[in-house]
Amino acid sequence: MIAVKYFGAIAEKTRSQGEEISFSDLPLHQLLASLEQKYQLSQLSFSVAINQKIVQDTANYILKSNDIVALLPPFAGG
Amino acid sequence: METARYNRQIILPEVGINGQQKLQQAKVLIIGAGGLGAAVLPYLAAAGIGEIGIIDDDRIEVTNLQRQVIYKSSSVGKSKVLEAKEMALGLNPSIKIKAITEKLDSKNAISLFEQYDIMVDATDNLNTKYLINDACCVTNKPFVYGSIYKFEGQVSIFNYENGPTYRCLFPEEANDVRNCNDAGVMGISVGIIGMFQANEVLKMVLGIGELLSGKLLVYNMLNNEQQKFDFSKTDTNTINTVAFENKYTSVESTTIEIGAALALEQINNPEVVFLDVRNSDEYPKITIKNGLQIPLDRLEAALHQLDANASLFVFCQSGIRSEKAVEILINNNFKNAKSIIGGAKALDKILHKGTVSVS
Repeated sequence: MIAVKYFGAIAEKTRSQGEEISFSDLPLHQLLASLEQKYQLSQLSFSVAINQKIVQDTANYILKSNDIVALLPPFAGG
Repeated sequence: METARYNRQIILPEVGINGQQKLQQAKVLIIGAGGLGAAVLPYLAAAGIGEIGIIDDDRIEVTNLQRQVIYKSSSVGKSKVLEAKEMALGLNPSIKIKAITEKLDSKNAISLFEQYDIMVDATDNLNTKYLINDACCVTNKPFVYGSIYKFEGQVSIFNYENGPTYRCLFPEEANDVRNCNDAGVMGISVGIIGMFQANEVLKMVLGIGELLSGKLLVYNMLNNEQQKFDFSKTDTNTINTVAFENKYTSVESTTIEIGAALALEQINNPEVVFLDVRNSDEYPKITIKNGLQIPLDRLEAALHQLDANASLFVFCQSGIRSEKAVEILINNNFKNAKSIIGGAKALDKILHKGTVSVS
């Protein structure tokens, strides 16, 4: 099981704070591609954290069971 | 120092009289006098930060009052920073407040940041956040970031003691993110995030606690969930003066201007002529091998002295006469003329740092 958490405009698009995905050993880029397609996130820019750490290299990361993935867009209001 | 005023914080062992002196010596620039700025300013002023600058060119609108609680209804139409200054000095007359009625841009950012120890990002758009980040990298200063999306807020510290920057967290320059004006916001939300920012400023000055450097705090006002995410420095994102000028002068202004550092990159290029349009008695003297001096009022009569194919980098004392000179040159078919931003003063500063090697 992999948990995904959404923030800001991403949470608005997905209409939820997060969800659980019943996969393990899933490449991160594959998860992101399927979420982008499912929720049409492609116009939004965001950074990705896994287990509370920002991941720079999203292309080569393999998710394991119990990983928590967070999609963090920049906020602009002030 | 008025110790009675600060008694309740001085009696904290973490602050003490030493800490109070640190606060008094600190210089903090608040960028933006909107919701976040209105939350940060009174607390920094009340705590006794010795010098606070606040920059914003906006005027107070009635739609601001729901969240920018330092302004009065009777002040609608007035300058935000001038009103903010009056409020802060009313709260604490023993500090210095500098109200800057300008918009932060790539031309004023660096000289402004050099005058302060810590910048507070209280802006409402991503372009300015990247500008603040880049100018902080050039001047080697930290900034305390705060930002809101509806009921969520983010807080972090960037470029603190060579730590990670905003670009390490958000390398992509997105500009599709809605701000409070478009997305809506509760006054309390900007208040809470502004408080987190002010708290980080005070901790940084006092040297207490753990700072949010390399950490992004995300706070959700609807469920009170608070999370921290770690991020590290990515080496590819270093920004120096040349990169800064390259990036911003090409975007923001016309191509007839060039930054002083970028111009000096070409100091040894024989195709480039540095044209001084000041009078010969003006200081500082700028000595450049490929330099030429023709005062502005004699320029039109002396155009035959110039090679129409050369790149002409024109400077005067501060950059105003050189703009006129470039206009004259371009009208006379010198297509490669550029005015050096900041003029002789900016050139002199860099030449004296010894960072340019003259062959």
